[in-house]
This record gives sequence, structure tokens and C-alpha cells, in this order.
Amino acid sequence: MTTLRIWKFFSREDLYECYQCARCTGSCPAMEVAPAIGPRETILRCLNLGHQQVVEDERLWLCCTCHVCEDRCPQKIPITDLLVALRNSAARRGNIPDRLSMAIELLAKTGRSMIVHQLDEMRAHHGLAPLGPAPVEEIRDILEKTKLDEVVEF
Amino acid sequence: MEYALYLGCAIPIKYPGFEAATRLVCERLGIGLVDLPFSCCPPPSSMKLVHYDSWLALAARNLCLAEEAGLDLLTLCSGCVNTLKEANAILKRNDSRRRKVNRILEDHNHHFNGTIEVTHILDVLYQDSVVEKIIKESVREIPLRVASHYGCHYFRPPKYMYPTELSPAESYVPVQMDHLLSLVGVEPTEYSRKFLCCGYPLGSNMDQEAGYELTRQKLSYLRERHVQALSVICPSCFEQFDMGQVILARRSKEKHKLPVFYLTQLIGLAMGMSHKEVGLDVHRVKSKKLLEGRNIA
Amino acid sequence: MKDDINKQRKDTGPGSLRIGVYVCHCGKNIGGTVRCEEVAEHAEGLPGVVVAKDSLYTCSEPGQEQIKSDIREHNLNRVVVASCTPRLHEPTFRAACQSAGLNPYLLEMANIREHCSWVHLHEKDAATEKAKELVEMAVGRAARLTPQIELTVPVTRKAMVIGGGVAGIQAALDMADAGYKVYLVERSGSIGGRMAQIDKTFPTMDCSICILAPKMSEVGRHPNIELLTLSEIQEVSGHIGNFRVKVLKRARYVTDECTSCGDCIEACPQLTPDEFEAGLSIRRAIYIPFAQAVPSKVLIDMDKCLNTQGIVACDRCFQACEHKCIDFADRDKVLDLEVGTIVVSTGVDVYDPTPLTELGYGKFPNVITTLEFERLINAGGPSGGELIRPSDRKRPRKVAFLQCIGSRSKRSNPYCSNVCCMNTIKDSLLIKEHWPETEIFVFYIDIRAFGKGFEDLFMRARREGVTFIRGVPGEIIEDIDTDNLTLLGENTLLGTHYRYSMDMVILSVGIRPREDSHVLQRLLNLSTDTDGFYMEAHPKLRPVDTTTGGVFLAGAAEGAKDIKDSVTQASAAASRANILMSRGEVTIPAITAKIDPDKCTACGVCAAVCPYHAIEGDKELGHYRVIEAACQGCGTCVPECRFGAIDQTHFTEEQIVSQIDLALSHEPQNKIIAFACNWCSYAGADFAGVSRIQYPANVRIIRTMCSGRVSPKWIERAFLKEVGAVLVSGCHPADCHYNNANRQTARRVERFWRRMEKLAINKERLRLAWVSAAEGAQFAHVIKEMEEGLRKLSPEKIRRDAERLKESLKKKSNQP
Repeated sequence: MTTLRIWKFFSREDLYECYQCARCTGSCPAMEVAPAIGPRETILRCLNLGHQQVVEDERLWLCCTCHVCEDRCPQKIPITDLLVALRNSAARRGNIPDRLSMAIELLAKTGRSMIVHQLDEMRAHHGLAPLGPAPVEEIRDILEKTKLDEVVEF
Repeated sequence: MEYALYLGCAIPIKYPGFEAATRLVCERLGIGLVDLPFSCCPPPSSMKLVHYDSWLALAARNLCLAEEAGLDLLTLCSGCVNTLKEANAILKRNDSRRRKVNRILEDHNHHFNGTIEVTHILDVLYQDSVVEKIIKESVREIPLRVASHYGCHYFRPPKYMYPTELSPAESYVPVQMDHLLSLVGVEPTEYSRKFLCCGYPLGSNMDQEAGYELTRQKLSYLRERHVQALSVICPSCFEQFDMGQVILARRSKEKHKLPVFYLTQLIGLAMGMSHKEVGLDVHRVKSKKLLEGRNIA
Repeated sequence: MKDDINKQRKDTGPGSLRIGVYVCHCGKNIGGTVRCEEVAEHAEGLPGVVVAKDSLYTCSEPGQEQIKSDIREHNLNRVVVASCTPRLHEPTFRAACQSAGLNPYLLEMANIREHCSWVHLHEKDAATEKAKELVEMAVGRAARLTPQIELTVPVTRKAMVIGGGVAGIQAALDMADAGYKVYLVERSGSIGGRMAQIDKTFPTMDCSICILAPKMSEVGRHPNIELLTLSEIQEVSGHIGNFRVKVLKRARYVTDECTSCGDCIEACPQLTPDEFEAGLSIRRAIYIPFAQAVPSKVLIDMDKCLNTQGIVACDRCFQACEHKCIDFADRDKVLDLEVGTIVVSTGVDVYDPTPLTELGYGKFPNVITTLEFERLINAGGPSGGELIRPSDRKRPRKVAFLQCIGSRSKRSNPYCSNVCCMNTIKDSLLIKEHWPETEIFVFYIDIRAFGKGFEDLFMRARREGVTFIRGVPGEIIEDIDTDNLTLLGENTLLGTHYRYSMDMVILSVGIRPREDSHVLQRLLNLSTDTDGFYMEAHPKLRPVDTTTGGVFLAGAAEGAKDIKDSVTQASAAASRANILMSRGEVTIPAITAKIDPDKCTACGVCAAVCPYHAIEGDKELGHYRVIEAACQGCGTCVPECRFGAIDQTHFTEEQIVSQIDLALSHEPQNKIIAFACNWCSYAGADFAGVSRIQYPANVRIIRTMCSGRVSPKWIERAFLKEVGAVLVSGCHPADCHYNNANRQTARRVERFWRRMEKLAINKERLRLAWVSAAEGAQFAHVIKEMEEGLRKLSPEKIRRDAERLKESLKKKSNQP
């Protein structure tokens, strides 16, 4: 398994722009309701402790992906790019929430992110034709080529 | 006016009522919709976080299908529009990523050229020519205090979602839904923390409880403004508010629930469509009484 | 003097060159990168050089003495100093030469610090080689220098101060007290500026208007000060010592007999927000700006008066005035004033936090700015000094201050506004003084209490119970019933998320350059820094001078600063202006253009491009001539002459061509020649050095006064010599220090590009770039890009291009 080069996604220099004003974490909804690390501390940890340490922490996943941190950042640090890179790296090391890996597996196997029973009947109730089949083979092939299996088996 | 209709996963599978309402409304407005064999977008809150390259490749395939049909891509979900708009922008801009993705897609006879744009049903309806038609086609007013919830992914990050409309401080504040609804007699209602997350991604990935706590907060801000209904443009936000109220009510004593509408359902009602036609009958929070009380059903 | 010059001209002819070269280590600044001994050794072997030495600090007294004694001992007739930028020490070394009897125009400098050691810190070999070549170029140019005498012109002993805030007031009083006539030009209806709006000052908690008002009235009655309110600068011409300024004096519609009794104000039916009260209260269309206003006279705001376009629809004020002071027929006037010096003290605007929607300013009534707070807590303010919140006029029990609003941010102003931390601390103590039971929370990122007495004040605020929380809120929510405000944020020191309910929130807003500061910038040819403030001539040693001679800066227009610093700077600016006026004359650098009447065909093309109309003549006379006192020395006329009849003193064709030739004497294909104008681009390259921004070492910078001096012949010459690439750089369009002379630069470069296109020479080898004095990074960026382009070219291709250019010139000369 190859490790991910975080700094290809996010320029390391951007971390130095942060002066820890905490507008990001102050705006963060996950921080209000869950024991998240918060963007400010994530940046500080990357700077002072190294990102290796950050990607081990499962609190990294407590996030709404709402992008409000980036929107409020006075330094315009692309924080969400950093968070995406860190989580990609965490997933490679096996730090990935179960619900998420299950959802990815389903997507890889069916080409869709959800399934329900009696779909055709439900659609007919609304006067809609049955949903065409998803291009499962093609999706599978693409995901094999992008090496998704290095992170989630499917 | 014709678009490739990108339904995504949640709408055709969980909430086909939104699809039905959208198709009916578009037909009335003369907006052509073409169905193509799309896959999952895939979501910005799942695949992108886990495996960026897979996220980009699948998104590219969906974009290619629309390119091949020569049509701009119309999405109905804040998550889908986020993925597809961002991926489209990145692939247009970044040569090396585009080459890498095209190498993979070539085996399936796709090639990303960057010839189309991605849009959302809200922005399609908000075009001047369409607005005129909506006014013409509307047969009744919807005299309700309705609050809008846009869904974070619909407009953030603005650098991808609305790159040309940034204010100097770069805090993009969407207004389209409120404006549109006011056209059909709705009283758009402001409320605190309008742009707070609904809680869905947090709940679905990690912590259901925490996710619903955000939903509860949102609902409390809506209640203090005496809002009568909520309008959304995303099936995930919808689920969080509709199903969420049922779950939250099990714990709290809150009896009164707030009906949640998908935007095209409200527009459809204004155009004279029935409660069932626009798929409102299957919502967990019932709206029939509220609507009948105002002679809309 | 004239005789001396003629003698020196004779003594210093090319046959009898005796050049001394001095290579400065500048401690480790140059010596740490460039091997200076080696450079001096190399210089010794150059033609005409009789002595070459290196020294630790050439600018030091012993360093200068060395030069002086060598001039006498070795009979030197040229001096080359390789050290820092000539923009810093050229005057020093010129003075040294002069005191040893050598004409100062026989000095040449090689910039081996800003343009070499500081920008190639880690390339010792390349930097040393570059330093050698820069010295070669300087020696070559020195050999072609000629002695000059500078013209002396009288200085008008009158000054103008633009902007009547505390800085302008201080500067005006200092110059007026020194005995000079001062025009104080103020845009609004009264002097006083921002300081008049503030309640108390920090750190001493003095009453702001109490200490300002006496100075304001002193201005009003000072016999040497002519106060021009409602006035703006329209046009500026002339130069140091002799400026002509057109001032637009707007109509007041009230005569000087006004006693400001206020009867007219009571009669006026038109209401509008009061700017002085930060919009917190209303005023009439006829009004006095504020109680202590100077001049203490009412005025009519014609935008708000019912009598627009000269039609009298309402005359209530006229009827109410016993002294009949209202004059609807009053008209704007343009005054034509002559002054010798100008002090710019235009102050700052306050940051408007409306775009930061998450804070709710403008939407939530109880979120206010610090300027609004100053008016609220001021006894003369709209609430009579009662701290009340706008929503219900009740006194807040819990108050929050939010720091760095609009400062230190790429969303607004990137710099620290300097005054907000102390202002907030002062404000918090004011509240504590009047209403000690009020709970006060200050949400901050860093508290910057750096000045005299500041830390004490900060300590006092903590002792008084003001709570300081590190971490500014991300969002503010308004409670629908109480209008209270909930602050959401993170306490970074505790690592916890907070929610505080407050009765009132005060946004500690930053300050920013005046929105229209570019107008004066262009009128006076000032530079601005990257933040938009007017730029000083040197950040340490000429902090109140500008690059325009005779124009000085005072107050926050130059950069965010508090009252004390503004006053200090104002006195400094006044003192600099007083020196000029008391000396009574000023020398003009001997860099004017000269026309050779024998070669001139009187075609008049030169006169057409002169930005100063300093060339006159006609066909009948048979030739044109330069009016020396009007010529500013940009040299734009020189490249225009097809007959080689014009040349610029001290920047002659011969001198600069020698620099080009020497720069390209080794490995020309690998070189970039950069022509840089003295005011912007050369200074920009200096700034890259000061900022230690690294760029490739193969660039050779040649200084001209204006990019308009850059002749297409020079570019052609460089390409014939097989140069890798040529950069022509100057001030940004409309920022040109010579009245848009750089338009000619652009035109000439474009024409050269067309020639290159025809000859199939890669156009990217000639680059035109606008680089301001503050854009060091931009200069480095351009050089890096050109270097990248250069790497793609083969020496063979460059040689073939040169051949084709040569061929085309041959063909041209063969044509009849």
C-alpha cells in the first residue's frame, strides 16, 4: 500500500499563513455537537506535531464537510483541501469509519450509493418508469484502475 | 432549453416524488430533460474524503456522458452539484489530472473535453426567461411563511460553486430560492443561522446523534420565526429534516412538526398540481392539512 | 565654478583615465555572499583603473576618507563604488568626491547588494562573478562620465498641507510658527479629522477633543495659516520648490459674517444622517459639522438642500438668519496657488464590516463598530455619553469587543491596523470607569501593546476585571426576543467551544487607506505600498519624505498609526519642509536633455513626446532647444530623434551602450538585460533585495530615470550582441513619475515586437513589465519566468536570430 503525498493536494506553505484566530473552529458545526478536533487545531497539529500524528486520530472524521471553515478563514487557507487530503491519507492507513467504508463498498458494487426494496412499485406510485440499471461493470473497472481497492475492498 | 437530467441516487431511489414534481414542472416550463446512464456522482462527503482519484474519475465519467450528448448537466441535489461542478472545474483547469482521468476513461470510449457546464435546478429556474414562464404558469399563490435551506454543498466553496459572484470578503450568500418562492406568493422568512449545516453528513459518516443535534438546533431557529414550512433543494437535507423530526419527536415533547418541501413541489403546487402529483403524500411530516387550510391541495 | 568644470573636463578626457574602485563588504551583507577581495582584484585589471580596494564599510568615515585620500594621492578622476543601491548612498559618495575636489558626477556605483548578494544568497560563485561584471559595467560607464554643474532654483517660501486632521494641524502650525505661509486644505467643513470623533485617547485617557480643540482654534486664528475648508486639490504642476496647485474651493453658501448662532439650522426642514456621529444621529441640510468645528460657521450641504440647480424652493434658513449670511448664489471657486513644499496628511478611512455577513453588522442593531462606540460614549454624542444599545436604548450589562475586524486578513486588509488593540483596552476601561458592574469580554487573536505606557494600560484592564479570551467568534446569532447576541467560537487556550450571550457587540474595526487615495497619488506622483498607503522614500532613514521632491507625508496616510505617532511624524514632515524653505533654494540634478543644433532638423518629433512641454523651437529657427528649468530629466525625447541630435546629460547614449556592451561581453546568450526606471522598477528590484527574494543571477540591471528613456536602438544592440532576453520595466501605467511618459515606452516596445515578429524572432525574448517600488516579488517573478523561457532557447537559435536582425539592418541601410 502506498502512502499518500498530502502536500500534492495542499501546499504546505499555506499552513504557515494560519495565525490561529479560530474563526474556523468557532464556526464549525461539528465542533459544537461532537468532540471534533476542529480545523484550527488540525492545522496546529500538522505544524507542530506533523500530519502523521493527525491522520491516526479518528476524530478527524467528525466533520460536516460544510466548508464554512474555509469561507470564514481570514487568510483564505484552502482548509477543506487539507482536510480531504488528511482523510484520504487516514483511510489508507485504515483509519476510516465503518459506515463510510460500507457506503463506499456499496457504491463500488452497485454504482449507486443506496438501495431500497420495491423500488419499481415506489416509482410507479409517482407515475415514474423503473430506474434503468446502473453501469456496474464499467464503474467497477474504473474504480479498479483508480486503485480504490488500496483503501476499501470491493 | 434542454439538459441532461442528472438524478443522482437519493432522489430516484428514496424520493422519486421530487423527480416526478421536477419532471412535471420542467414540462410545463418547456425545459427538455434527457436521461443518460449516469452512475453515483459520487458524494463530496463520502468518496471524495476516502479516495480522491476515484471520486474524480467517476465524476468525470458522468460529465463525459453529458458532453457526448452535447448537453449541460442539470442536477437536483446539493451534493451532486458540488461534486460535478468542482470536478468539472478541476478537470478543465488541471492538465495532469485530466490526462490521468482520460487514460482510465479511454477504455470505455469516454474522453473529458470540458465542453459543458453543470447547473442545479434552482439556478435553471432562476434564469430570467424561466422566471417569466413560472409567473405565467402559476395559477395560485402559496400564502405560507416558508424558510429556505440551501444545503452547504450547493454554494460552498464559492471558489468552485459561484466563482464569478464573489464579494470582496468572499462570503457568498445565496438568495435564489427565497426570490423564486416570493414569485409564487410565498412569504420568504429569514431565520438565525440560515446557512448552518442540516447535520446529514456528520450523521451518516460518524455520529447520528451529533447530526440530529444540529437538525434540532436548525429547527429551533425556524420555530422562533414562526415558519410554516421549509423548502430544500437537496434530498439529504430533506431526509435530515423530514425523518429527523420524527426521530427527534420521539425524545422531545414537540408535537408540532414542520412540513418540508422540495423546491419543485412548491412550484408545482403553484402551477395547480395536486398534493399527490408532486409526491407530497409520502413525506413523513404531513402537509395536507396545512395546504388544505389555504385551499391548496 | 565654471572654470573648475572646464579644467576638470580637460583633465578627465578618455586618454587620461584614473579610476578608483571601492568594493564594499557591507559587513556580511555583501561579504557573506560575494568574495569582495576577488572582485577588487578583478577590478584592478580593468582599463583605466589605477586603484581597487575592498573595505568592510565603504560608507563609514574611514571608508570615505580612503576614497578622499586616494583621489588626492592617486590623482583619481573617476570613482566607482560597488556597494548598496545608489538610491541609498549615492549622495554620500558624491559628497565625499566633492570634498576631495572631484566633480560629484564623476562617481558611478555598482549595486552589488540589493541586486546581487541579497538576491543570490546561496550562490556564492555566481554572485561573485555577477559582482565582477557589475563592476566592469560601472567602470565602463565611469570612463564615459563627464563633470556637471547643477542648476539652482529658488524655493517658494510657502507650504501647503493637504488634510486637516491632527497630523495636518500639527504640520501647519509647525511651519506657520517657523514663519512660513501655509495653506491648509481640508475637504470637509471643518478641520479636526478622526481625532475629533474619538472620545478619549490611549494610553493616558485624555479627552480627545479637549486637547485637540485648542490646536484647532490656533489654526483658525494663526496669521500665517490660510484655512481652505470644503476644498480639494484639482491639479498639481511644477516641481520641488515651485509647485502650482489648483484648489477647488466648494461653495459654503454662508458668508464669513456667520456667528454660528444656529437659528438657520432650527429652521431647516431637510434631514440626513450625521457623518460626524458615524450615522448614529441626524443633522439638517444646513449644519455645523460639530460643536468645536473650525471654522465655526454653518454650511449648506447642497446634495441635501431643497435648492438644487440654483432654484430657490425653500428659503427658511435665509429668513431665519438675522445677519443675512445665507448666500444661495455662492459658487465653487478654483484657486491657483504657488507653494514650495507640500505635506500630505489625508488620513484614513474606517473599515466597513458589512461584507463579513457572519457578524451581522448592519443587520443586528446591537452590533456596532468602535467608531460608533466612540460617539456613543462621548458626552457630546447622540446619547449624551450614556452607553446605550441601539435596539432598545437600554444600558448593556454584558459587552463584547471583537478584535482584528478587517485587519490581518486576506478578506479585507492584510496588515495590522496598529491602533485597535489599545483602543479597545481604552474603551473597556472607559466603560468600567462609568459603569463598573458591566461585564466586558475582549475576544482577540494577539494583543499588541507595544508602545510606551501600553502594557500598563493592558494590565490595568485585566485588573479591573475585563476578560480577555483568545479566539475570535466565527459567528454571531441574534436572539429574536431580546436582541441579545450569542457569540459562537473557540477559546483556543482552553481548547473549548464557547457560546457567550452578550447585550452588545463592538467590532474593533481596522483602518485603511482613503478610498480615493489614488487621486492624490497620481496628482503628486507618489508611490503606494502593497497595502495602499503612501510610500516613504526610505522606510528607516527618510520616513517622511516621498519619492517626489518637496512632498512630505504625515499621519496615517503613510501607514496605520496612533495620534502620538501622527503628531510626531507631522512635526518631522514640517521640519523637512522648513529646511527646504529656510534654505530658499534647491539644486536640480544635472540630468536634463540637450539638443545639438547642428544635427537637429527641426522636425519637432521630440517636442511632441515631451511630457513637460520643455522643448521649444520651429522650422524657421532651424532647430529645437530644451528649456533646462522645465526639463525634468526623464529622457523620453532622446529615443524619438532619428538624427541623434538629442542626448540626456549623465544618461548619455554612449554611457548606456557601454553598459550594454560590457554586460554582454561574456556568455551573452545566457544573459538577461533589464532596463529599470529609477522610481518604480529599479526601486522594486531593490525591494526584492531588501526582502531577500531570490532570483536567477544572470540578469543585469541598467538604470534609467524613466522607462521612456529606453531606446529601441539599445534593445536592437542587445539582440545584435546575442543577448538571451531583454526586459523593459517601468512604473504602472498612470503611476509614471514623468506624466505618463511610459506610454511612449509601451508604444516603442510594441513596435519592436512587430519587428521581431516579421523577423521570426521569438517575441517572448523582449518583455515589458510594470513593476512598482513595492513589487519586489513581482520583479523576481518576472525574472524567473524570463529565465525559464531562456532555458528553452538554444545558443544556436539566438545566434541565427542575431544574424537575421543584422541582415535586415543591412537591407534597410541599402535602401535609398
